[in-house]
Amino acid sequence: MAKIENGRQSVDTRSIRTISSSHIDDESSLGSDSEINGFTSDRQTDKYGFIGGAQQYTEQSAQDVPPQVLRQREVKWLDMLSHWDKWMIKRFNKVRLRCQKGIPPALRGRAWLYLSGGKVKREQNQGKFQELDSQPGDPKWVDVIEKDLHRQFPFHEMFVSRGGHGQQDLFRVLKAYTLYRPEEGYCQAQAPIAAVLLMHMPAEDAFWGLVQICEKYLPGYYSPGLEAIQLDGEILFALLRRVSPLAFRHLEKHKIDPILYMTEWFMCAFSRTLPWASVLRVWDMFLCDGVKIIFRVGLVLLKSMLGTREKLKACQGQYETMELLRAIEPRYMQEGFLVREILEVPVTAREVEREHHTQLKRWKKNRGELNFKSPPRMHGARIIMLAEPPRRQDLQQNPTILLEMPQPTSQLKKGKEENKSKKKRSMKKSKPIDEIPNPYSLPSDLPPPPSEPPAPPPVTSETPPDGETPPEIVPQTKTDSPDQQEAPPKDLPPAKESTLQRSTQSLSSTDQDTYL
Amino acid sequence: MGSDEAYNFVFKVVLIGESGVGKSNLLSRFTKNEFSHDSRTTIGVEFSTRTVQLNSFTIKAQIWDTAGLERYRAITSAYYRGAVGALLVYDITKHLTYESVERWLKELYEHAKPNIVVMLVGNKTDLESERSVPTEEARDFAEKKGLLFLETSALASTNVEAAFNNVLEEIHKRVGSTEGVRSSISAVSLSSSRGENAEEQKPCCRNL
Repeated sequence: MAKIENGRQSVDTRSIRTISSSHIDDESSLGSDSEINGFTSDRQTDKYGFIGGAQQYTEQSAQDVPPQVLRQREVKWLDMLSHWDKWMIKRFNKVRLRCQKGIPPALRGRAWLYLSGGKVKREQNQGKFQELDSQPGDPKWVDVIEKDLHRQFPFHEMFVSRGGHGQQDLFRVLKAYTLYRPEEGYCQAQAPIAAVLLMHMPAEDAFWGLVQICEKYLPGYYSPGLEAIQLDGEILFALLRRVSPLAFRHLEKHKIDPILYMTEWFMCAFSRTLPWASVLRVWDMFLCDGVKIIFRVGLVLLKSMLGTREKLKACQGQYETMELLRAIEPRYMQEGFLVREILEVPVTAREVEREHHTQLKRWKKNRGELNFKSPPRMHGARIIMLAEPPRRQDLQQNPTILLEMPQPTSQLKKGKEENKSKKKRSMKKSKPIDEIPNPYSLPSDLPPPPSEPPAPPPVTSETPPDGETPPEIVPQTKTDSPDQQEAPPKDLPPAKESTLQRSTQSLSSTDQDTYL
Repeated sequence: MGSDEAYNFVFKVVLIGESGVGKSNLLSRFTKNEFSHDSRTTIGVEFSTRTVQLNSFTIKAQIWDTAGLERYRAITSAYYRGAVGALLVYDITKHLTYESVERWLKELYEHAKPNIVVMLVGNKTDLESERSVPTEEARDFAEKKGLLFLETSALASTNVEAAFNNVLEEIHKRVGSTEGVRSSISAVSLSSSRGENAEEQKPCCRNL
């Protein structure tokens, strides 16, 4: 009875994690095994790392991009990342378009770090994270953070183990933030944000990503008083009037405060609401274009669930309406539908700002001055970059797998890194040239085989006109012993030869890549 | 969505208390008979319902849950609106969570109805060995403040039913059938499809 009564299908947490015998201690499982935590081996982990179908992954709704398209996109993104400032300043529309199509998973972490300006922040504050990381932290915050570590994405393999690496890194990132901004401290919704970042990049990068989100994209969201989120609730509601008058009137009639439905949506940037594939698409666009994307998602969901008379007939009161908004129908959250709809919502950053101004005036009239004045919001990656212009070296990528000048048998040297970034930063392993075409061929390689449409075209290098482009790969000649050579330090001077310059393939996405 | 059973009253009850004391698990234990060591941090508002029989009446309990962290108190006025009952929860193994009870009471009376029924709940009795709040001390405090009192364990399912049922009974006593209990669910169908309880149905069934 209770299950039906409460609307959406409740996740049966007992079968995954609950411990029914009362003598098992709350603080039991430090560094525990999956088995101890109650997992059975037949629980499937999906491709995002979620266990047992958590976060709504289903085969049917999966929108998989064909591998060859993925490879093409990767090449394009690698090119953009190597010339980031130029793309951002001169060809931002193209960057935006590519974000809208979805960043290739292999490059998502890197792209997010660049888009958010976290990469630049990190380079300009070298050693800062280590400094914060080494401090014990304010016990008050440490206590609250520790309570939350096992409560973020508990069904994700990265965070499932108490005291495991995922939870440890989550702790480090959140604690560092409380030291970085002691006047802000910790707000619980920062944990899911940090967790999403940690799923894609190592702790230090995630820290700077979090900083950017908290300060540039969503300033004031996590501050004491939560005034910014309340204001955004009013903005959302006001925008709804235009986007779906029916939904607006219904919410107004039943006196449903925006805070009652949009808090988790906005504070967690929908990471706790949508199926994971959709979360990633939304974040790709959000980090590119700013908070207007978050508003648009909210508007789409509200309109979808409450936008027709028929739907409204089913919810007669405040409670029913809230239950409906808590159990959004899967088809409205599905990646394809959602992205299409988001792009259609007629709400711009300027309109968000205009409404912000209106609501702020109203707030001051009714409630007095804001207690916690946040800095102005930045609506997207380009604006952030203009506000925090990078030095050339800030945008340099520092790969840890370095490809040598090709020998008869090419060798790979794996560099050591202080964190787990290897798989994110590495170049793909090059195959012996005489066997398989190497799409990432180096300047002295043999000319690439003729490319056919499905195969990813090779990237040839040419000296750029200004000769200043930072190198993607740093070819190393063997001067010392061939064996245990370590990765060069981060501040390696630019290589004499630069590689991986302009792509020769058409940059027109309409030619090859029409996937939404 | 929504129970098909007929009900006479809808009572909105809120769960308040420090972060981590067990509010969400009390909610899930009572409304879904579920408990999880790793339920997600509550951000925003969660709610569930359960319909119970009280004497001859059918009561739909609407239980609301929210984040306990201090800064979330800024957004709770909407949350308290219309609540007729509250469970103020602390963790018997964490004395600090008991110490903030006074603050929570103050907050509660600032935002909620003056005659709201409040029960002080000491949760996590399954961790008796780590107790740091003596039962008698808490009970005395509750009595002094005019609060109901119980100690519970959402994990072991001890006294959870009793806690909610006591609060609902007390609400019913105070609100009574003499006053119309107004609800926002106006068109409610005291499920006419069922008809069994037709005679007992009151014309208005609403929240205060």
